Amino acid sequence: MPDPLISKLKQLIVETLRLEDIVPEEIPDNEPLVGGGLSLDSIDALELVVRLEKEFGIKIATSEEAKSALASVAALGSYIRARADPSRLPS
Amino acid sequence: MAGAARSPRLSSCGCLTPFGNARETHAALVRGESALRHVAVLGIGGGDRVPLALLPGRELDDTNPPAWLDALRSLALSIPGEGWGSPRRPVFITGSNFGVGGLYALRRYGDPSFAAWGAPPSCAEQVRKMLGFGPDVSILSLACVSAHLGLLQATRVVASGAAERALVLSFDFLSPFVAGGFHALKILNGDFPAPFRERASGSIGLGDGAAFAVISPDEGDWVVEGQSLFNEMHHFTSNRPDGSGFARCMESVREAALGLRVWVKGHGTGTLEAGRLEVAAVVRAFPDSPITGWKGGLGHTLGSCGLVELAVALESMRCGTAPGVQEASGEPMAPAVAAKAFPTGQFDGVVLASNAFGGAHAAFLIRHA
Repeated sequence: MPDPLISKLKQLIVETLRLEDIVPEEIPDNEPLVGGGLSLDSIDALELVVRLEKEFGIKIATSEEAKSALASVAALGSYIRARADPSRLPS
Repeated sequence: MAGAARSPRLSSCGCLTPFGNARETHAALVRGESALRHVAVLGIGGGDRVPLALLPGRELDDTNPPAWLDALRSLALSIPGEGWGSPRRPVFITGSNFGVGGLYALRRYGDPSFAAWGAPPSCAEQVRKMLGFGPDVSILSLACVSAHLGLLQATRVVASGAAERALVLSFDFLSPFVAGGFHALKILNGDFPAPFRERASGSIGLGDGAAFAVISPDEGDWVVEGQSLFNEMHHFTSNRPDGSGFARCMESVREAALGLRVWVKGHGTGTLEAGRLEVAAVVRAFPDSPITGWKGGLGHTLGSCGLVELAVALESMRCGTAPGVQEASGEPMAPAVAAKAFPTGQFDGVVLASNAFGGAHAAFLIRHA
């Protein structure tokens, strides 16, 4: 059974960044999001951070924190789970 | 990479910051003061409070006409000479944002007159008319190396004999549009900047700034040399991680400074990666030189920073003391980083460097004539 938060994040990544030819399930859990196989760059990261902040009601304060959170989908999931109100997480 | 064929002189230079003119700004920085204050990033729109250095009495929100016009006018009163904007006395207006906040204000308030300030050509045209310049005005903008670009073009037209003098006028005044953009990138956050210091996370501050420089073939005590402009064309918001762009930019200015004792005024916004790359490149090019940077006290004055900091550097040489980086927690990124003010009497000149989005790097040397 896939983790619903991880599934949701992959869906958000594809939607937000309008990634054509990629289905959410193809995004690996543990590969770097920026500079990895998805070829995301810092502008993509900016768009993604804005969307994540709205979606989960979190605040990413610094660029270093953003970089750490976006290390991988799994890292992003852990970051959000530790900070978001549980009511905003998918069940 | 580009450089002037001859070496024109800097005959006059001045600036305006929240501390005042060049002399007042220099004195405040030597005392270790900072003009940065926490301000809501979107002005009346609220948002996180971030470190901004605004001119005294100025609010972040745009007004029409812009509230910064009087400040720019007062700076222009100290520009010597007349006939600016004629073929033999061209003007180079440089900046990064001009009145872009006007576009945001147009969207906020719906007043179409804000649009007149929103684009570089219309903004510069209004400034040209206000200051009484003739039509020979060029507009140059390349993010945070804009002022360097203007200085380079001015020295070229003077060195070639195409102009008898040239004026560079550079300004950038903050708006919620600009502050909000840097805030979205997470590099403008709640922390005060600590350029060239190791910390857990980086942060910048932003500041209002304007400055001018008059270039002449033979008047003035300072020669402009080794001008360098190099663009990595690597990425919109990041530098090559190996620092090669910083190093490449330092090559021609290092050659120009051979045999001279120089100190270095770096860019130093307060971001960590760029700070480390810059310090490493400077230490390699100028292993015996102290490195300082003033954005911890002034904030980053964006497109005007190259000229604002040039005015402070000249004041440093005149007074015999250069401000160090702002006092802050965190170890300097290299022993050469000057944590405190230092004497300049033993030096022949100063290297000034700036860096910009898109991996654009610029540097030049000012030495005694």
